[in-house]
Amino acid sequence: MRLPISWLKEHVDVPVEPRKLADDLTLAGLAVDAVEGRGDEAVLDLDITTNRVDCMNVRGVAREAAVIYGTTLRPLATELSETGAPATEALRVVIEAPELCPRFCARILDVRMGPSPAWLRERLESVGVRPISNVVDLTNYVMMEMGHPSHAFDLAKIPSRELRVRWARPGESVRTLDGVERRLEAGMGVIAGPDGALSLAGIMGGASSEVSDDTRTVALEAAYWDPPAIRRTARALGMHTEASHRFERGADPEAASAATARIAHLLVRIGAGSVRPGLIDVRPAPPVERSAILRPARLRALLGVDVPEARAAAILAGLGFGVGQAESEGRRVAIPSWRGDVAREADLIEEVGRHHGLDKIPSSLPPARRRGGLRRAQLAARQVRDVLVGAGLDEVVRTSFVPAGLEARPAVTVANPLADVEGELRTSLVDPGLLDTLKRNLNHGHRDVRIFEVGRVFLPSGAGVEERTHLGVLLSGAGRPRTWSEETRDVDFFDAKGLVELLAARLGWPISLGKGPVPAWIHPGKSTCLLASGEGIGHAGAVHPEAAARLELRGEVFVAELRVDALLEAKPAEARARPLPRHPGVSRDLSLVLDGAIAAEELVAWAHQGAGALLRSVRVSGRYVGVQIPEGKVGLLLTLHYQEPERTLTSDEVQASVEGAVRALRARGVEIRGE
Amino acid sequence: MKARLAALRAEFGEALARARDAAELQAVRDRFLGRKAGSVTQLMKTLGGLAADARREAGQALNEAKVEFEARLETARAAAEACARKERLARDRVDTSLPGRMPWQGRRHPLTTVREELEDIFVAMGYEVYDGPEVEDDYHCFEALNMPRDHPARDMQDTFYLAGTGGLLLRTHTSTSQIRYMLENPHPPEVRIICPGKCYRRDAPDLTHSPMFQQIEALVVGPGISLGDLKGTIEAFLHALFGEEHPVRFRPSYFPYTEPSVEVDLGCVACGGNGCRVCKGTGWLEIMGSGMVNPAVFEAVNARLGRVVYDPEQVTGFAFGLGIERVAILRHDVGDIRLFYGGDLRFLEQFR
Repeated sequence: MRLPISWLKEHVDVPVEPRKLADDLTLAGLAVDAVEGRGDEAVLDLDITTNRVDCMNVRGVAREAAVIYGTTLRPLATELSETGAPATEALRVVIEAPELCPRFCARILDVRMGPSPAWLRERLESVGVRPISNVVDLTNYVMMEMGHPSHAFDLAKIPSRELRVRWARPGESVRTLDGVERRLEAGMGVIAGPDGALSLAGIMGGASSEVSDDTRTVALEAAYWDPPAIRRTARALGMHTEASHRFERGADPEAASAATARIAHLLVRIGAGSVRPGLIDVRPAPPVERSAILRPARLRALLGVDVPEARAAAILAGLGFGVGQAESEGRRVAIPSWRGDVAREADLIEEVGRHHGLDKIPSSLPPARRRGGLRRAQLAARQVRDVLVGAGLDEVVRTSFVPAGLEARPAVTVANPLADVEGELRTSLVDPGLLDTLKRNLNHGHRDVRIFEVGRVFLPSGAGVEERTHLGVLLSGAGRPRTWSEETRDVDFFDAKGLVELLAARLGWPISLGKGPVPAWIHPGKSTCLLASGEGIGHAGAVHPEAAARLELRGEVFVAELRVDALLEAKPAEARARPLPRHPGVSRDLSLVLDGAIAAEELVAWAHQGAGALLRSVRVSGRYVGVQIPEGKVGLLLTLHYQEPERTLTSDEVQASVEGAVRALRARGVEIRGE
Repeated sequence: MKARLAALRAEFGEALARARDAAELQAVRDRFLGRKAGSVTQLMKTLGGLAADARREAGQALNEAKVEFEARLETARAAAEACARKERLARDRVDTSLPGRMPWQGRRHPLTTVREELEDIFVAMGYEVYDGPEVEDDYHCFEALNMPRDHPARDMQDTFYLAGTGGLLLRTHTSTSQIRYMLENPHPPEVRIICPGKCYRRDAPDLTHSPMFQQIEALVVGPGISLGDLKGTIEAFLHALFGEEHPVRFRPSYFPYTEPSVEVDLGCVACGGNGCRVCKGTGWLEIMGSGMVNPAVFEAVNARLGRVVYDPEQVTGFAFGLGIERVAILRHDVGDIRLFYGGDLRFLEQFR
């Protein structure tokens, strides 16, 4: 809101320069975003919070300034000399919907239409309002000055000289001042004549009763409208006007009469017409007197500072509150009609606090009565990040709104998406989020993309939404850092699997790899299902070549995605330290040649079966194909490890165990070399 | 015998002096001390022909010579080795200007780093960290926070609604967690939590807006919590985050769920308060909203609990909410909020 200093000074003395005023207003809660110009030419740009509709005008700001500087708000000139027949003879007003309109004021003005005087036009222009004609300009001027919107009807265009305030009828429409034909619905308020709606209540006047150069008599209307009704109607019609902006935030019901008086006063002053006697004031319900009790102890407790009672009372009185006598339960404070935002004691305390000065409140720290900390799952999520970052992966955070991915899955959709933002919520972190991230980075010339994300996915669940926390990983490009000294190699399945194993080991997650469904866009021969407690929680593997072709990916891409909410919550068993072995262990290597279709884990199992309980562990320590190995076969090096905690192993018992393993392997057709 | 030994010693001395490396020293050893053909060994073999006294004397002299030769050989060998090592060292060079072989290291997302730092600051002040859902309903997001339907403050938070869910929405702020926590913890009303998380508003993406963003909410409730406590807490954490040298300013504002409501400004971290592009010349950065919990919020929670747990006459509280991107933008001079969510490694790799 633009506020010329010269206009402000008509209402209150301001003993400081505009910049100081701007600071003082800001610290009292009326944020000044900018000061243009200097001295009395200056214009303040205020950003008034939505609750302070009373300050969205010159006089409201002047009232605040008067409290800040201890000066006086000058009374508003509204005195009138009325002439002609009583107003009530010219117009009848009926309120059929008192819940929509608790008060409706009108005056009848005989006008000489024409342009406004220069000072009035300039003033309107200085606050960004376009001058139209003297009558219209005066309604706008008074709205900017004291905040109450009003509307001028051409009395001659009001059929039967009767205005009825009511809810719109189904199928009714009205052509508003902007020339748009508005189709109305139940729940929209109108000011109507006997034949239909003339004006959209509290939002915009109608074209049929608009004042023009030919207008001789004006029915000037100023009313108070139910804020939710105005807000609903304005939103439904996609309208936002100076009037609706104020009424939906709650105007001052007592200002309606003053606004008409001020306009009439100014009309006479600029020589643009005269005023007929009497105010038409239709008010179905008496004004509501509102008040709240202010207790000094409560004020001190909430603000954390002692504000002298006299000071508190002076602040409130300056703002227009009626401060009662101090009594045992506190002071009763009457709330002025323009302060719809104030209802209870805390609101009064805020008024005192902001004018007393928040900077005068000493800072303190509340005593800690309990221990704080991160929860189990929060600590675990940090550890997941530590592990993956340590393994050379960059964390990304992608938006929850996604386009369609490789796999069609039921998804939660946004009912009112933004024009250029996808309206579907992600059900997976990898598809399409991390895959899209890969594409973008490949396009930027990144060769090695190693990324992960921890975040929520959203699954439809009946009429609701289930949120799950997932971990997604994507590896592409080199499998180890590129250096000047060594050849690199491409990332492969075992890099992805190794990351999952690393997480399982470091976090104590009971994850196993096993058979199970993987998405159709995952390579069937280079993938595995991830299981926890026998339940599928995700998958790891290569992107299917068909999908990779569709995405125009170069080289193989490996991904893993798993649901981690339960894993993060689970508390793994503490590590227990075992005594260190005091006797030497023994390792034996077996060089095997076997059918390429035999899984390494089967081989390990057979070795264990044959070797018996003495065998501690078996490790695959080498794998060869090529020249030395027949077609269709692979060479594997198995390392058998023996270790007894309480004694030294004899070579005979180790030999017997190794021979057992060899027999078991041979029985399955495995060839043992060099044995 | 004496004469022969003297000659031998002279011969040994010459040979030792000529030997230049370990191999030549070995040859000297073989020549004089070799078990079969060594000169000393040969002399030993001649002792048999001597008389007992002479044999003893000569034997002793030979043994002494042998020990002496061994010692001199050892000294020479050690010297030769030291010399060889020195020569090897002189040649043993790498080009230390070649790049080091760094292990692969990734990076946390800069917003994660900021969020965790904020969490740590508050945990050190005795706060719990509470996670709430991103999908919410109208009650938790607005109604219980004193924003009934048709409340104008809802305009400030244009909301994404989810189709076919009977009005579920994406939370527009982490303040929803205030309500969830109080409802889930209906015991002695002492609360000290922070709630970080993603929020969503229907703002078209541009340099300063992202339809998804992250906030961190704080809620402290207890007997006698005052606006002074709010000030002290906010000052403490902003100083921990940005440094003691930046002043903190509090000014009245408006949020439906706090009363009084307070906007917090931080002395501009870019210019030190002199006025610059970042602070639009004001010297201040609007950093967060805060306030004393509106009694209406406690009443809404009590109403849902069906009994008075958070009695506004007995307890007061404060709450505040901070944009995590805002902190990261100020700290790292990020010019476009969308970079945080674009997944561009050229951006992410700039952080530690």
